[in-house]
Amino acid sequence: MAILGTFAFEEDFLTAAKNLTSSGFDRISLMSPIPVEEAQEIVGLHKSRVRHFSLAGAIIGCIGGFAMAVGTALVFILPTGGRAIITIPPFLIITYEMTILFGVLFTLLGFHFVSGLPAWKDRPYVISASVDRFVVVVEGTTGEQAAKAEAIIRDAGAEEIQHVEDSQ
Amino acid sequence: MSTIVEKFRQYRKPGYYEKYDYHWAMTIDLDRCTGCEACMVACQAENNIPIVGEEQYAMNREIQWIRIERYWEGEYPNIKMNFMPMLCQQCDDAPCETACPVFATYHNQDGLNTQIYNRCIGTRTCAVYCPYEVRYFNWFTYTWDEPLEQQLNPDVSVREKGIMEKCTFCIQRIRIAKDLAKDDDRRRVRDGEVIPACVQSCPTEALIFGNSNDPEAKVTKMMNNHRGYKVLEELNTTPSIVYLTKAHS
Amino acid sequence: MFDHGQPTYAEVNKDIISTMLETGPKYWILLGSTMSLAGIFFFMPWIYQLFVGVGAAGMNRNAVWGTYLSNFIFWIGLSHSGTLLSAVLHITNSPWRKSIYRSAEAMTLFSLITAALFVMVHVGRVWFVHWSFPIPNQMGLWPNFRSPLMFDVMAITTYLTASSIFIYMGSVPDFAAVRDASTGVRRRLYAVFSFGWRGTAREWHTLGWAYTFFAVFVIPLAVSVHSIVSWDFALSAVPGFHHTIFAPYFVTGAIYSGTAGIVTVMYCLRKFLNFERYIGQVHLDSLGKLLIALSLIWSYINVLELFTTWYGGSSFELEALSFRMTGFYAPLYWEMILFCAFVPLLMLTRKIRWSWNKMLVISILINIGMLTERFIIVATSQPRKFLPDAFGFYVPSWIEISITIGSFGIFMTLFLIFIKWVPSISIYEVKETLKPLRRDA
Repeated sequence: MAILGTFAFEEDFLTAAKNLTSSGFDRISLMSPIPVEEAQEIVGLHKSRVRHFSLAGAIIGCIGGFAMAVGTALVFILPTGGRAIITIPPFLIITYEMTILFGVLFTLLGFHFVSGLPAWKDRPYVISASVDRFVVVVEGTTGEQAAKAEAIIRDAGAEEIQHVEDSQ
Repeated sequence: MSTIVEKFRQYRKPGYYEKYDYHWAMTIDLDRCTGCEACMVACQAENNIPIVGEEQYAMNREIQWIRIERYWEGEYPNIKMNFMPMLCQQCDDAPCETACPVFATYHNQDGLNTQIYNRCIGTRTCAVYCPYEVRYFNWFTYTWDEPLEQQLNPDVSVREKGIMEKCTFCIQRIRIAKDLAKDDDRRRVRDGEVIPACVQSCPTEALIFGNSNDPEAKVTKMMNNHRGYKVLEELNTTPSIVYLTKAHS
Repeated sequence: MFDHGQPTYAEVNKDIISTMLETGPKYWILLGSTMSLAGIFFFMPWIYQLFVGVGAAGMNRNAVWGTYLSNFIFWIGLSHSGTLLSAVLHITNSPWRKSIYRSAEAMTLFSLITAALFVMVHVGRVWFVHWSFPIPNQMGLWPNFRSPLMFDVMAITTYLTASSIFIYMGSVPDFAAVRDASTGVRRRLYAVFSFGWRGTAREWHTLGWAYTFFAVFVIPLAVSVHSIVSWDFALSAVPGFHHTIFAPYFVTGAIYSGTAGIVTVMYCLRKFLNFERYIGQVHLDSLGKLLIALSLIWSYINVLELFTTWYGGSSFELEALSFRMTGFYAPLYWEMILFCAFVPLLMLTRKIRWSWNKMLVISILINIGMLTERFIIVATSQPRKFLPDAFGFYVPSWIEISITIGSFGIFMTLFLIFIKWVPSISIYEVKETLKPLRRDA
């Protein structure tokens, strides 16, 4: 079972989040209509893993782009304009574009992997989270733990508390 | 390992070819040219060049693989007219070849700037890049009224709309000459065996054509004439056609 | 930032989402007319041209490149606005970009699509245009990567992909907001579009990082795309094209024309979607100052071209220049100078810079000038190459003018569809500029 608390003010929301994490609850989601940096720090997010994906994509694009340009020039040799078959300035431009293309595509992939979206299963949510309310959700709690979580949330000044199903 | 190094050196050499197999070249003696335009007619007959019609011609859409440029000098009554036949210069450092995104034009082993009609997608970049303006585009699919289609040359393809074309030094005649030479004991093509249509029809023999790799060929000797110059040489296109200026007294 | 007092978070959601959910007859009439404009003026002449041949346009042996290519460059230029506003100003943390960047990014995407259509209209045998992509085929043939047009193909493909991903990713939280405000089929559709976004700290964190990386990738991409388009010209030997200044010239011109385009689009958004609250004086003022700076740089580069041509003394270049300034196309050249170099100087006065109507007129004049500039570059250098006997001139035909007009119809249609499907102002970024929801605020 999950406890869902809705807050109208940011500082109450952050207080509840801090108290929950310090009390040992770990399956917490902090939802807000705008990004809140302190909330991200409370949950323990510093440097995102997306950057590894971006770097990998850029490197793959760089090497792949140059390899494609050189490889296709050598498959069927057609000299043009008194230039060499493997010319560096044009191939560098192709490499540059491919670096950016694959960097962008891999960043997109990274976003999906790291954020867990698209979500295939239902998860706790209230629609006011996308309007003007900050929402704290504590999942996987039963009985005594649930009551404790609920107490922390109520003490922080929640507007509304709901009991909802856990994410599947 | 050494083959890799060798190949790499080959691929990095500007122009790729160490030496052309045949290096087809032409000289045009401006002293002999009378501006009669027989070469234009011969070219049109040999290469299935479309008849664009009066209206299209007035719009500057003519297709003339070889054209006679006319330059006036002086004022009446002391006017002089200079004729300059202008055709594809088959430049060794052709600006048009690098421009094509699909390799529809490239430099072959005979030093010719070839145009592959069925590969052309009609971006017309080559025509923009050519400083001599010798590339022509098929704006429509031109047809020949009866019975003119009976005089089409079966050795040359007929182009549809959207394709660039230009002088090929009558590559079909070059091919036939090479085939005959191969059948005849695998010898090389001799000087005088390949005559493009324009060269053949010139009444004053102002055009001379041949293999400039052959030191005995007539064209090689003419190219070294002190009257010789290349058009727009300062653009470094290294054309294969040498013009001989009018002899001045 | 907000001219009529700060809205609340709920009001932001309502104001912006209501423009998507409620549609009046005026919208349908407008959409119908832009679609007819596109269909009748663009697609029908193009289909005629596909059957008859490119000869239906006015190009000839002297000028094989005509308005199709100059329009292509114009639309690519217009597309640089969104990238500049969205990506560059994101990196510099500029606050006034927040409400206008979404529509600017949409402009980028739709201009690119229109530009890509122009490539297809321009090419002689469109049914083989896929040969310019490196797709494995049975012939074993690949495109010529040494060609400037191939740089173009790669650059525009990358730019289209990157722009669509950029705008989509930035809109995911807003799709979630629309999902929460709607019912039925629309709700399910936006649930799919938003990937099930809940707004958790992890999701915001990842999106923030991914978005910054997209911005960092897209900025050098935008600079390179228009430089590469300029090299289609600069890598030739044609006098009038063969200048090293072309890359900065084109990029500056692109950002200039794009920013003027943003002013026009902002005016229309304000008027038709009642966004007066979100798009105000500060935006107009900032855009105006940007336009002045770009206009001065553009004028400087034009003077540079004159100077280097005169100083170099090449007879071919001088001929090309004098043909442009005093020859057949002189009226167009001077109209371009008037609209792009002199008219924008009016914006130096605050009175003009803060007036929406006057800025609308100036921005439209700038874009007309820029369209002329592209035409002048393409059409006046080609008839004056090297051999005097081959000189000529070129006049666009009716089909070309019709297709130019029709392209605006395509752009407007795409934009009208956009404002109903994607929140045209970024909901969450506008909320970030409001007073924070704190007890003491």
